[in-house]
Amino acid sequence: MTPQLPRLLRLAAFVAVAVVAAPLLSLLWRIPWSKLPRLLSTEVVADALFLSLWTSLAAALVALLIGIPIAFQLSRMSGLPASTLRAVATLPMVLPPVVGGAALLFAFGRKGLIGETLDNAAGLVLPYTPAGVVIANAFVATPFVVLTIESGLRALDPRYELAAAALGASPLKTTLRVVLPMIRSSLVAGAFLAWARALGEFGATITFAGNIPGRTQTLPLAVFAAMEADRDAALAMSLVLVFVSLVVLVSLRDKWWPAR
Amino acid sequence: MSDRLTPILDCRVVVERGAFKLDVEVRVEQAEIVALVGPNGAGKTTLLEAILGWLPLTEGQILLDGRTLEAPRGNTSVQTHEREIGMVFQDGLLFPHLNVMRNIEFGTGKSLEKINGLLAALEISDLVDRYPKELSTGQRQRVALARTLATAPKMVLLDEPLGALDVTGRAVARKLIGNVLRTTGAGALLVTHDPADAFALADRILVLENGRVTQYGSPDQIRTRPATKWVAELVGWNFFEANGTGSLARLSNGTEIATAHSGLDGPVVVTINPTAVALYREQPAGSPRNSWHCRVESIEFVADVARVSLVGPFDLSADVTRAAVAELGIDTGSAVWASLKATEVGIQTLDG
Repeated sequence: MTPQLPRLLRLAAFVAVAVVAAPLLSLLWRIPWSKLPRLLSTEVVADALFLSLWTSLAAALVALLIGIPIAFQLSRMSGLPASTLRAVATLPMVLPPVVGGAALLFAFGRKGLIGETLDNAAGLVLPYTPAGVVIANAFVATPFVVLTIESGLRALDPRYELAAAALGASPLKTTLRVVLPMIRSSLVAGAFLAWARALGEFGATITFAGNIPGRTQTLPLAVFAAMEADRDAALAMSLVLVFVSLVVLVSLRDKWWPAR
Repeated sequence: MSDRLTPILDCRVVVERGAFKLDVEVRVEQAEIVALVGPNGAGKTTLLEAILGWLPLTEGQILLDGRTLEAPRGNTSVQTHEREIGMVFQDGLLFPHLNVMRNIEFGTGKSLEKINGLLAALEISDLVDRYPKELSTGQRQRVALARTLATAPKMVLLDEPLGALDVTGRAVARKLIGNVLRTTGAGALLVTHDPADAFALADRILVLENGRVTQYGSPDQIRTRPATKWVAELVGWNFFEANGTGSLARLSNGTEIATAHSGLDGPVVVTINPTAVALYREQPAGSPRNSWHCRVESIEFVADVARVSLVGPFDLSADVTRAAVAELGIDTGSAVWASLKATEVGIQTLDG
């Protein structure tokens, strides 16, 4: 049996939940439910929704591709080098997203360190394009992949790798057939969190990819734009974001935080 | 066990870890089972991990069937997965996301039909569709052994493979493992903390204490001539520190034990095989010099042997037959005479 919490703590928890829930409930309160189908089917909203969906999925994929190798490397390091690399890899998580977007511009912008080369060599321009949205989203989402997968790797008994090697499995085979399957819940959690973070991305996107309706205007940007012009549309789109985020978090349950 | 044969495993392993230093030479012949015993922290697992290539050698070399796997001076180091050495872990370490069949197929290109005999011998043919969490501890161990043997390693390392089993399970698994290991022809190095495993399974026993080999010999040699206090206790021998003078060994409480040795001088260790201690109800006639009046502290039966713990001038264990206990009519608290021939008293001079 789980020991009971002190009454004061339970009361505090109740108040805290109310405080967190109040804005969300207010949002629901103001939603013009009857106009919802019409509001969500305008071209601006449909474009933003579609753009948000595919760019966030692509960004989650990119975040996995970048984050998994970093997590593996980190899991084998210790001390100052590990702390330093972890700090660098997870910096976008604490950095104001606008700063991240600006940094991306300096790197991938037309006159940026890498962007100029890309433009000259392949005619590839990233800022203010849907691909730029993906880059900006992936930039802020990668730390979630790194942290979840590193913790998964650290929780894995290293002797499983020894057992695989003793059975003649190369390091590559061991990684693909033993390690990755054994940390699959961390992989799933990392992917979902990265996707959810990308879906809600605002600052880095608007800085690096702009706010061009039908091209780089994602759902959060569209909500921001609509707050001035059409508050009902903003509410309707907010509802979509709240709903999707809740579904992701509830379905993750014990994959992100350990179950009892 | 001819020396002319090339041993399967021939190695000298030196590993330094902080203050701890492991320095061990091991030779294992083809189809030979060597048991590795020793107190906790002696370096048993470290030795296995070094042989497997999981820990680098500070010095020494590892040869498997004549092939150099590791020689720090010569800069040779074959990676673990290319060593043709298998390892069975205490908890089996089956891959939890793979069923028994896929676990066993993992390391081998062979399909299960090719290793049917192995599955049957280990009595796991019916378990192939199960997942590790659906197996008992003993089944998991047998699957782990099958998984390792399926890769046809030249050498098998077993780290306490029976450690997690209960007494009955141990006896069954011990027999199975012994039979299967002998049919493969691979050499085996078996770490165990249970002397029963070592004596029942092994051709030779290697005793490792504090990073060093303190005894290496056949089970009979270990049983009849334990070289250290730890081994003596392992095989159930009586073991006393004493001071030698001429042919006498004097314990710290003044009790004198007559020995067949001569010229003793200074600290010695007295070892007494419990089977050499004879028990009598009356003081033995002719009164041999080594006879002491004792009280029975406890009697423990193992199969046909009764281990009688005695309290007298000093604490002594005697192994007698079950029949002898009945004949003497002794029980806890009974007074008995224990006697011992001088020729049965082992003497070692202390070194280290």
